[in-house]
Amino acid sequence: MKKTAILSIVAVVAIFLTSITASAQKIVSSKTHFKFFSSTPAEDIEANNYKAFGTLETSTGDLVFSVPMQSFEFEKALMQEHFNSKKFLNTKANPKAKLVAKIANISTVNFNQDGTYLVNVSGNLTINGVTKTINEKATINVVGGKVSLISTLNVTLADYEVAFKKGKPSTNIAKTVEVTVEATY
Amino acid sequence: MTKNKIFKIVLIVIGIGILIGGSIGYYMFNKPARDVQNTKTDFSYNASEIVNEYLTDAQKANNKYLDETGNSKVLEISGTVANITEDFNNQKVILLKDASDKAGVSCTFTSETNSNTKNVKIGDRISIKGVIRSGASFDEDLEMYENVIIEKSNIISNK
Repeated sequence: MKKTAILSIVAVVAIFLTSITASAQKIVSSKTHFKFFSSTPAEDIEANNYKAFGTLETSTGDLVFSVPMQSFEFEKALMQEHFNSKKFLNTKANPKAKLVAKIANISTVNFNQDGTYLVNVSGNLTINGVTKTINEKATINVVGGKVSLISTLNVTLADYEVAFKKGKPSTNIAKTVEVTVEATY
Repeated sequence: MTKNKIFKIVLIVIGIGILIGGSIGYYMFNKPARDVQNTKTDFSYNASEIVNEYLTDAQKANNKYLDETGNSKVLEISGTVANITEDFNNQKVILLKDASDKAGVSCTFTSETNSNTKNVKIGDRISIKGVIRSGASFDEDLEMYENVIIEKSNIISNK
């Protein structure tokens, strides 16, 4: 009798554990594109990064991106060197930026049905070793079971202690830059 | 020497100074990005070696390989091709990873070097030269290991 009881408990636990693993639906990015865009009357500056990596938990809405900062490529080599330098993003000390966020209304997305879904992303963005909360909108597209995500983050550089106190960068780089995120999973 | 003559010489010297300074400034502003393939290789490793060096002490490895201005070390990495994909910029991406390793080395090619990957197959043993952008680590938010990232790659040998 005791044996059956123990066995049934084991069975229940086993079923419970499998159901957890089954409901944990973490999808992994296959392609990403992060674009940094700054616009001032002096000039427009753009940098592109194709090396970010991310996951999306389709049941809980957990959204994570890890962005290798040295992979941002600028048109001008000098700009790229400034971007990486200690004065600005200090990429030797902080080689990665990270977004750890949650999609609050993930339940409105039907991953089994083609469509475009508007979602709210909120969480923590870490750039230059400084973490700040963000609240942004994103669009999730489902086409034939393929999931993609698009979003635009407005990043105020001073929030992340990226200071352009003097010289050319202070006049030629916008105080708030636009970071466009595109990912397919 | 008359005052006038001295004035003229000073003017010419200043003129030449401005011209040289201006051209250096102009060159600096427009200087092209470093040509990684024509830069001397700093270190040669098997994929496992660089991955394990990062997993042992990421900070130490970052100090060794990453450069403050982003012109980080140029590496030659040998390893087994585990995956071949393409990114949003139509650049080939080859993952060098041994089955027994926790992470690999993700090498992105360029529009100039893409075509050199044409004959590469999964399982091939190849050597790639490129610039390191970031190292391998376990990320607890991703709950996954991240690969070493190499860009501006080209194939050195394909055996």
